[in-house]
Amino acid sequence: MQELNWGLPVIGYLFLAGVGAGAYTVSSSVLLRGGGGFGGDHFNIARFGALLAPIPMIAGTGMIIFELGTFQAAVAQGDIGLFFKWINLFLTINLSPMSIGSWVLALCILASVLYAYTFLAKESAPDDDKKGLRQGLAWVGVPLGIAVAIYTGVMLGIMPSRPFWNSPVLALLFLISSMSTGVAGILLLRAMFGKAHATATGESSSDGGKSADRATYLLASSDVLLIGFEVLAIILFIMFAKLNIGNPGYAVSIILPGGELATMFWFGVVVVGLLLPVLIELRYVVPTLLYQQPYAMPRSIEMVVCAVVLVGGFMLRYVVVLAGQMTGPMGI
Amino acid sequence: MKATATTISRRDLVGNIGKGATLAAAVTVLPGKAKAALGNQSVHYAMVIDARKCTGCHACSVACKTEFEVPLGVHRSWVEYVEKGTYPDVSRSFLPRLCNQCDVPLCVPVCPTGATYKRKEDGIVVVDADICIGCKYCMQACPYDVRFINPNTGTADKCDFCLHRVTQGLEPSCVNTCQGRARIFGDLNDPDSEVAKLVATEPVTVLRQEMGTKPNVFYIGADHADESDTRVPGQYIRVDTHRPVLERR
Ligand code: SF4
Ligand code: SF4
Ligand code: SF4
Repeated sequence: MQELNWGLPVIGYLFLAGVGAGAYTVSSSVLLRGGGGFGGDHFNIARFGALLAPIPMIAGTGMIIFELGTFQAAVAQGDIGLFFKWINLFLTINLSPMSIGSWVLALCILASVLYAYTFLAKESAPDDDKKGLRQGLAWVGVPLGIAVAIYTGVMLGIMPSRPFWNSPVLALLFLISSMSTGVAGILLLRAMFGKAHATATGESSSDGGKSADRATYLLASSDVLLIGFEVLAIILFIMFAKLNIGNPGYAVSIILPGGELATMFWFGVVVVGLLLPVLIELRYVVPTLLYQQPYAMPRSIEMVVCAVVLVGGFMLRYVVVLAGQMTGPMGI
Repeated sequence: MKATATTISRRDLVGNIGKGATLAAAVTVLPGKAKAALGNQSVHYAMVIDARKCTGCHACSVACKTEFEVPLGVHRSWVEYVEKGTYPDVSRSFLPRLCNQCDVPLCVPVCPTGATYKRKEDGIVVVDADICIGCKYCMQACPYDVRFINPNTGTADKCDFCLHRVTQGLEPSCVNTCQGRARIFGDLNDPDSEVAKLVATEPVTVLRQEMGTKPNVFYIGADHADESDTRVPGQYIRVDTHRPVLERR
């Protein structure tokens, strides 16, 4: 077994930062595009995204501190001074993806906290007094969220010493996965805490029910699309490495049939994280898409779909972070 | 002999500048200073390891451990055993390992704090333990797996060519102790130095040249065989170390 310099804290961080960044980006773009459309439901979705976004990002950032050697030494030796040595990250900036990433992440967390604040009041509405601030933070949210989602892939991807990661497709894959897990996070929150959407018989509640379902339909179908892109990115990622010779081809074989991480990858990432949710979602999206039937996914199913997408996103980070460290350049 | 004297005076230069040079010292080292003024790295430290002479005695590993009180379980320098073949066509050779003090050190540009840097004056790649936060990014980026987290400080650590010794004009501890003279250390910029001559005249190799790091540790007669490049079906290749993590990565 290889030594894993980056373990669970980093895996958890990559996953959580991705969910948060995705939720911020999706919420911002829904807000900017939809405003109060669909009887205010776009606004509600933006609100769930906004309230969600900072939490995983802050939790993930908190986790990653556990992986710092200085933090571990601080715990082992009870040296208070070492606990806060990570401050050094913010005393400088250079071209290291980790340096740029830390600053972007800090900005993104700051902006997302403010953004969440503009949605905090229960009675917040598209046209309340915080509209200007909210819109402004949504405008910065789109690029910041995308930057956080991408930089994690760039950080892993630039090192020839880690051929499994050393692919530009990795950043793309992480970006798409972040967006898709961000959507899943929003839909999960909405399914858990949102007002009950009207079922087929709920037409009594004016238009609210139908429009809510329409908005969820849009999110669910864009999720299907995102998962489609993710499948494409995974195919690209594997092709890029496998059709290459030397280190990349050698490294990627760890997730191909017969490789040490093959089961985890094909079952955890592809089947659970991609195929399962896409099949369930299609089962509900296709009738609406083709036959204009009312879209009604039962809440429990909605939660299952979101949960498996999130599990898949975590498994992707897990497999990638492990595989990168279990393989290295060939020869010496 | 004359060449040796020049080298030492240059080393004195580096050491004494660090400590505040006396006037006398400053005068002796004038040639070195003029060279530095040209804007080039005045000293270019390098090591040549003649694997044919190495007996795998581990004296270098032990000397290094002692020199730096390197904690148990981590190593700045170690020796790998390379065994291959099937009886009677077999070989066993030794590959001493350490940081290559690369000219293009992949560990440097990834460091988010600037704790890892390549010294302008002699090309040694060092870690400033006061700045390093232990993020381990450099450990991922180094293609030679020579970095580790020092459990005492929680910061990245690795071989620094015995900076504290070479700036005083002494050889690195592993070179000093090597009974077979398998390790040779010196200044590549000095054409009369033994390393410069060996690099110029011997078929030297570096490790993982394809990484583009331009290592400053050169090998003569090293067996670059690795478990991953077994070509003959069933061929036995085994690489062993005394490090807790046995695999090369
Ligand atoms: S061998 Fe590794 S640690 Fe040493 S200079 Fe080269 S890249 Fe950096
Ligand atoms: S572990 Fe220290 S030296 Fe290495 S990249 Fe991080 S801060 Fe820089
Ligand atoms: S001290 Fe010299 S001979 Fe002994 S293992 Fe080290 S390099 Fe080889």
